[in-house]
Amino acid sequence: MLLLKDARNVEDYLAQGGFKALRKALEFEQDEIIKEVETSGLWGRGGAAFPTGLKMKFVRKERKTPKYIVANADEGEPGTFKDRVLMERNPYQILEGMIISAYAIGAKKGFFYIRYEYRDIAKDIERKIEELRRLGILGPNIYGSKFSFDIELVLGAGAYVCGEETALMESIEGKRGFPRIKPPYPAQYGLWGKPTLINNVETLANIPVVMRMGGANYSRLGKKGCSGPKLFSVSGFVKEPGVYEANLGEKTIGEIIELAGGVEGKFKGIMLGGGAAGFILNEEYLDMPLCFKDAKERGLFLGTGDIIVFNESVELWDILLNIAKFFEHESCGQCFPCRYGTKRMREIIEKIVCGEGRKEDIEKLNATARAMKIASLCPLGTSAMLAYESAMNNFREELMGVIQ
Amino acid sequence: MEEKVRKIIYKHRNDDSKLLAILHDVQNEFGYIPEDAIKTIAKELGMKKGEVYDAASFYSFFKFEPEGKHEVMICDCIVCHIKGSERIIERIEKEFGVKMGETTKDGKFTFKIVEGLGHCEHSPVMMVDGKIYGDLTPDKAVEILRGCE
Repeated sequence: MLLLKDARNVEDYLAQGGFKALRKALEFEQDEIIKEVETSGLWGRGGAAFPTGLKMKFVRKERKTPKYIVANADEGEPGTFKDRVLMERNPYQILEGMIISAYAIGAKKGFFYIRYEYRDIAKDIERKIEELRRLGILGPNIYGSKFSFDIELVLGAGAYVCGEETALMESIEGKRGFPRIKPPYPAQYGLWGKPTLINNVETLANIPVVMRMGGANYSRLGKKGCSGPKLFSVSGFVKEPGVYEANLGEKTIGEIIELAGGVEGKFKGIMLGGGAAGFILNEEYLDMPLCFKDAKERGLFLGTGDIIVFNESVELWDILLNIAKFFEHESCGQCFPCRYGTKRMREIIEKIVCGEGRKEDIEKLNATARAMKIASLCPLGTSAMLAYESAMNNFREELMGVIQ
Repeated sequence: MEEKVRKIIYKHRNDDSKLLAILHDVQNEFGYIPEDAIKTIAKELGMKKGEVYDAASFYSFFKFEPEGKHEVMICDCIVCHIKGSERIIERIEKEFGVKMGETTKDGKFTFKIVEGLGHCEHSPVMMVDGKIYGDLTPDKAVEILRGCE
């Protein structure tokens, strides 16, 4: 495994070749590192799947200083727990990736933002940051080079929307976690208005892998144009729920479910993507390779890479109500389409769950979904209806069965 | 109180990201964020009291009034939901005579519903004072809570 290793303490990590990639990187020119990452075909693992090398390049070419780097560990999607498991099992690889990336873009200061629900892990990461300072791997003149860099840990306080990159930056700055209007993007206007690279922790853990094997070799892992190892959170009705690692494109959804011990009970469907912001799919999708491109061709996103398995006991309107409540609560309230839309979706679905749904309600739901998709400010508002829409496509008969 | 809050603020003098860190420490110290602490934080950071409260009140885990001795968060995310969190919630409400969001009369527990504790391989889960308990049944949940001092 390239990501899911067991290296909970620094001795183990060093014994497994840890920080070799950093030493190697420090001998590279900054642009050479970015070139390697671009060649590797590494795309972001936090949900948006943006090419990581390109993002680094954008920050690198900015003239404004200081520059910042942020590790996003605000893993808040229901059904997603891969970042937590990665931080527990292989935390140093994330930190190593962060240091290499900071060197490549020219950042002297980084922030590691962890959600409040993971506060024990946050304490552990903080201890590890302190440990790396003592070892000369963080702080002034890392490994005797001219490069100096340090990391500050920031603990969130319970706000799903802070996983969105600009909301997260507002939060670090000590404000409400309101998403900003983009552009300008974080590369130009990030933390305190300075150029900022923000990456999911799993993306960062991939950077040492790229540096160790070289971008070209990395790009051959998995499928062409969709490369590298990816973590999948598999939960719900499977016999062995957990986090599983596979190269992108190598396994189908069905195969990952088998890896997780197979379905408990009779298979009904899955939820794929970013937890609540995901797609409800039927058995026709079991053959789909888990790859950003295969997903896109079918109009889906892999998102954070989570698969929630439903068996026959799961009632879809009930799930949709749970999701609608989630979004109503987590909408930050800044923009009207999301603030009102999430409330309206919840009200209508609640009515349907009570057995009072009418055809007009479905029309209202569709109109609300459309308006939110067009007009919401951030991905929270534009993805709140994906579960409903995909469920309607794949389980129309069942859902319409209760509508008068 | 002012002295303690000032000490906390001083501890974070070199942090770039101060406010959340200070608020967390204040809450750890007093169990909630008292109004007087907000006053001191505002003064020391050169902010308005309203600005501090505006930011702090955005986050669900900051509390502005004292709560029960033990904080119990029951996860009702999609995964916990399909694995039976509703039955656990119902049972707890019956057993302790409270609704979610409330504190028991003896001040021992405050119960909250949360959406995503990030331990879905053990759904349904709850968190008691920061510790995760997974693979719950209604009986097991009650037993764990009865075991709290």
